[in-house]
Amino acid sequence: MTRATVALSIVAVVVLGTIGFALFGVRRIKMDPSQYIVGGRSFGTLFLWVLMAGEIYTTFTFLGIAGLSYSQGAPAYYILAYGTAAYIIAYFLTPAIWRVGKEHGLLTGPDFFEVRYGSRALALGVAVLQFLMIVPYVSLQLSGLQILLRIAGYGVYDATVSVCIGFIVLALFVYGAGLRGTAWASVVKDVFVLGAVIFAGIAIPIRFFGSPTAMFDHVLAKHPQMLVLPPGGAFHGTVWYVSTVLLTSLGFFMGPQTFNAVFSARSEDTLRRNAMLLPFYQCFLILMLFAGFASALIVPGLKGTAVDQSFLLVVQHFYPSWVLGLIAAAGALAALIPASALILAGASVITKNVAGDIFGFATDDAARTLLTRVLVVVVAVLALLVWLVAQKTVVEMLLLYYNGITQFFPGVAATFLWRRATALGVGAGIATGLAVAIPLAALNETPWGINPGFIGLIANVGVLALVSLASQRRSVIPGVEPK
Amino acid sequence: MGASPFSSARFLRVILAAIPATALTVAIPLVNRVEPRIFGAPFLLGWIAIWVLLTPAFLWAIGRLERHW
Repeated sequence: MTRATVALSIVAVVVLGTIGFALFGVRRIKMDPSQYIVGGRSFGTLFLWVLMAGEIYTTFTFLGIAGLSYSQGAPAYYILAYGTAAYIIAYFLTPAIWRVGKEHGLLTGPDFFEVRYGSRALALGVAVLQFLMIVPYVSLQLSGLQILLRIAGYGVYDATVSVCIGFIVLALFVYGAGLRGTAWASVVKDVFVLGAVIFAGIAIPIRFFGSPTAMFDHVLAKHPQMLVLPPGGAFHGTVWYVSTVLLTSLGFFMGPQTFNAVFSARSEDTLRRNAMLLPFYQCFLILMLFAGFASALIVPGLKGTAVDQSFLLVVQHFYPSWVLGLIAAAGALAALIPASALILAGASVITKNVAGDIFGFATDDAARTLLTRVLVVVVAVLALLVWLVAQKTVVEMLLLYYNGITQFFPGVAATFLWRRATALGVGAGIATGLAVAIPLAALNETPWGINPGFIGLIANVGVLALVSLASQRRSVIPGVEPK
Repeated sequence: MGASPFSSARFLRVILAAIPATALTVAIPLVNRVEPRIFGAPFLLGWIAIWVLLTPAFLWAIGRLERHW
């Protein structure tokens, strides 16, 4: 067997084994919409922790952190901070969201806007935006998967066909297994990813430098400015850092897939414990920074998007093929498992909030489950087509995700903090936030070093407040007060 | 909870949540340096890592105050 065959076979066995394991986990489950989309609101602390970690830590975690620390150094630290800051917010926010979901039997993020603001139009707008954000985000995972498979194939093999096949298999898996299947698959994914991260962050520095400490000495000797942030308003300076951490932590739980995960909890305290425990997963990301710094010393000179491959190239050059296979398998799961949660969320938003609520189509349980299943496959194929024919568009559409997702936060928070907020105000706020943030981001403008999404967020809050005060008050549903 | 918005218990919870949140965000320009090293890591990275690890303790304390566990 060639080394490429060894590595790629390991990837294939691990991915198929994970899917088989997850299908076994759900074999006795009878699917209705609540079971299929939000796991029957029954997940306990550990299972929810695994699911959340499974869908939060994507190929961006795996390749992107190492790539960012490789190319930029200290700005990559923001990733450690924003997740943790997000979990502090989540401790207070997610139990409140869950309570609304439980009382009204909600399935999706847009459902939340509908019951809290009494506006189906607002829910439709949120549903469409969330759907548009999901498609490029799934495509991004496919690009990550392709990089992994190319490297695992030692460059002799173009992975496009394998990515397509793998992704269709994944879509069929979600068709059958729903959110609970994703949670079971996350069990395997988390084990592999943690193993790979520990290897990358500890074994690589020890082998090449003796210890992580010695590695930092080398980095300091070669690139003295790499380990701290540039000052103030400079590119990726401290102003950028603070505004980016604030922006991304507020947006962290606003993705449609995270609403599904929040609703899947068994109780409010499950979510509180989960928020308390998730920072421990965040600690492991430090090791991916180590891997990035080590790679900057071992294989210097990569440019552009190639930086994301840095630590994989180290593994490819200096370790046996079975090690590369296991690392690439962990990376493949980090692409596929979050993608499974994303396509399920995209499909459920369209089934419930567009087909069901707007067109009155597929509203009984059996039809709704079937339509969601079919749409899972449709969304997956759509993401695949976008990825195949419009790579450049994917990059542009991602601006919508990264700068747009946080724009939902003011509307969600206002339902608990400021009861004067109206549907019109929230809708106008979201529209303004997007209209400010996306052109700035597209032009690469960062006024005073501030992240453009953050400027959009401030505009969003201002417009939300003004329009709400000016528009007629629509009372929110009484009886669901924050604590 | 039944606590009024201005009760000391609520104030304490807000402070407990604000400490790690501040340390990880707006405090960063103040700790943006390499020395002293923390377990070999540059000070800035060590600072962030320590606060990531401490955050569960703060959230646990808030949960205790709210009698969730």
